[in-house]
Amino acid sequence: MKGITKCFGAVTALDSVDLDVAAGGIHAVVGENGAGKTTLMRVLYGALHADEGSLELDGKPVRFGSSREAIQAGVGMVSQHYGIIPALTCLQNLILGAEGGTILNIKAAAQRAEALAKRMGFQFDWNSDASTLSPAGAQKLEILKLLWREARIMILDEPTAMLSPADASALFESLDRLAADGATIILVTHRLPEVLEHCNRVTILRGGKRIDEKAVADTTGSELAQLIVGGALDKPTTHRQISDGKTALQITDLSVKGSRGDLALKGIGVSVRSGEILGIAGVDGSGQRELFHAIAGLVKPTEGNITLDGVDFAGLSAADRIEQGVRVIAEDRHEEGVVEEWSLDENAALGLQRLSPFAKGGTVDSTARHAMAQKIAERFSTKHGGLNLPMASLSGGNQQRFVAARALCLAPKLLLAFQPARGLDLKGTQQVYDGIRAACAEGAAALVVSFDLDELLEQCDRLVAMNGGKLLEPLDGQSKDRDAIGRLMVGAH
Amino acid sequence: MLTIALSAPLILAAMGGFTSERGGVINIALEGMMLTAACVDALAAPKFGPVGGLLIAIVAATSMSLLHWLVTQVYRIDHVISGMAINAVAAGGTNFLFLKFGDEARKGNLPSLPSWFFYTIAFVAPVLLLFYARQTKGGLRLLAVGSDPDKARLMGVQPIRVRFFGLLATGVFTGIAGVELVAYTGVFTDNMTAGRGYIALAALILGGWRAVPALLACLAFGFFSAIQVQLQGTAILGVHVPTELWAALPYLVTIIALAGFLGKNRTPAGLGRH
Repeated sequence: MKGITKCFGAVTALDSVDLDVAAGGIHAVVGENGAGKTTLMRVLYGALHADEGSLELDGKPVRFGSSREAIQAGVGMVSQHYGIIPALTCLQNLILGAEGGTILNIKAAAQRAEALAKRMGFQFDWNSDASTLSPAGAQKLEILKLLWREARIMILDEPTAMLSPADASALFESLDRLAADGATIILVTHRLPEVLEHCNRVTILRGGKRIDEKAVADTTGSELAQLIVGGALDKPTTHRQISDGKTALQITDLSVKGSRGDLALKGIGVSVRSGEILGIAGVDGSGQRELFHAIAGLVKPTEGNITLDGVDFAGLSAADRIEQGVRVIAEDRHEEGVVEEWSLDENAALGLQRLSPFAKGGTVDSTARHAMAQKIAERFSTKHGGLNLPMASLSGGNQQRFVAARALCLAPKLLLAFQPARGLDLKGTQQVYDGIRAACAEGAAALVVSFDLDELLEQCDRLVAMNGGKLLEPLDGQSKDRDAIGRLMVGAH
Repeated sequence: MLTIALSAPLILAAMGGFTSERGGVINIALEGMMLTAACVDALAAPKFGPVGGLLIAIVAATSMSLLHWLVTQVYRIDHVISGMAINAVAAGGTNFLFLKFGDEARKGNLPSLPSWFFYTIAFVAPVLLLFYARQTKGGLRLLAVGSDPDKARLMGVQPIRVRFFGLLATGVFTGIAGVELVAYTGVFTDNMTAGRGYIALAALILGGWRAVPALLACLAFGFFSAIQVQLQGTAILGVHVPTELWAALPYLVTIIALAGFLGKNRTPAGLGRH
């Protein structure tokens, strides 16, 4: 790719970027949020059209008018949000877009699918609905989709964002195998250890410009980090000694019914002191979602109590709980965090509209809201083209910064943070956790869910694990012990 | 037999709804497309014979259907609004056309194809659509686009194209459905579809957007309409039941059935999305 330029309105997302990827091997593309990584990949995949620049494949110039043409040329992409359609079966998802005939030969397709899966060491129940797949299963299916299309160039955009550590290393094992077989893999990531351990070359993007390209063998993690951020990183804040704050959040014997009628939470008990950041480790779907929903007042527990600073939450609506100081950094930004069609201004007050300074009589004070939106956007330096533009104009990482800053803006008492650094780079992650720590220093309590155990170990004061709807506390003195927590995550003691 | 006669247009229209809604296009315009086809058939059949009338009616319904495609897919207007507009145009337009050109046709006994022709199509189509959805490339793509157009697009499927063919089929099915109505009664009357397009849509929803269950739902509606025709004016257990209550029966059944089926949501996730 040469001199690729892409503008969205007034924002230049890519400024004459070059990318050279040699055949065979894993090439990493790293950079902060908004550096243009995903945009560059979408241009390569034909999903976006570059304003300027050219593409060459095997020395021949090519132009992709749509993803369809890119697929035909042997380019495949696994996007950050998987392209799996839950209503279809695994097999249907696999062959969609490359069915190979007007009438489907399901038998032959299943055989070839099985052969591909075997080659990678995967196992699938091909006729089950794709909605039953775990994140790791979806990821594997995505890789098989690329193989099904005989893609020679595979683009993976943040493939490990949703995976547990074990699944992530299994993924890299298969990628290494593919690379050894001659596939060219482009890996978009912000996790430097992945780059250092598994990639051959790395291209660094910053602010839509290509900063450098290096052989991984010739570089170090700290050098890469500096190139990405464009300056020395602040040292991570050292852990604070928590004063013996009084108990803020107290949950006893909490049970909640899941969507299928079975118990999603089974008698959970935990307490969080004011000033404390409690990390909840566990693989996706262990009950973290239901716990947060129960505390926020979105589902009614079948049993148990929740109190915050002595106030019983039973009978309080979600709005009442927000008034009590509960703030949420939601898991699914699009579903629960923002209204994408609304402006940043409007989103700033979303959920907080009944509180001062937003509320004025029965209406929302738009002057105060604008001022607040400005503060929220500045807090974690959200890059935006104007506060009156719709939320959808922001990149995913910048939306996350905005949502995180919003949760912190009005003196929270209890923070419920579900993957607060989702899709954020090193610096952004650090900023958000620093923000949470600052809120806790002023007396808030925080519950943090993440699927990245290392992130929790680094950022939280104390860890517990969830598995199958139960919450497990490690033994005394082991609350930051990686192995002990890892065992609890899979339900072993 | 009355049940089959009353269900056939519902089934045909519901299948038209199937090819449209499984591809993610909300289609409340089934009513208008049927009505247009019925009117055009009544005008064309005396001149061009029953086959010519059928073909011209299909062309008319299909052009309405493709208008819906153009408005919702190319110009991205809300699907419900476009559907309402089409229904309004059809209601007014057929009225106008028939007043203006329809004198001789008004006398009744329009030439038409035998009823077994329509019944065969009505009962074979759902089975064919079942096969189409499960076993063909086009069917898979239709379902994919109806579930998630964005993801389908990433897999190289073009929603706008898939939906074009879906709505083309909708036009054909609703066209046949409209002609069947005229064939059954032998005349065209103003607003003769009388909500059958909506009942067909309800049957489709009741059938969970699946072809064969939708067929069964249409049969059930046809059955209740038949009961209504037979029982009208008779007293049950000495109580005289007003005609209006019988007339409302199919609609009441719709509401009750829908309420009972709401627990399991089979709505195509991409309905109304681009």
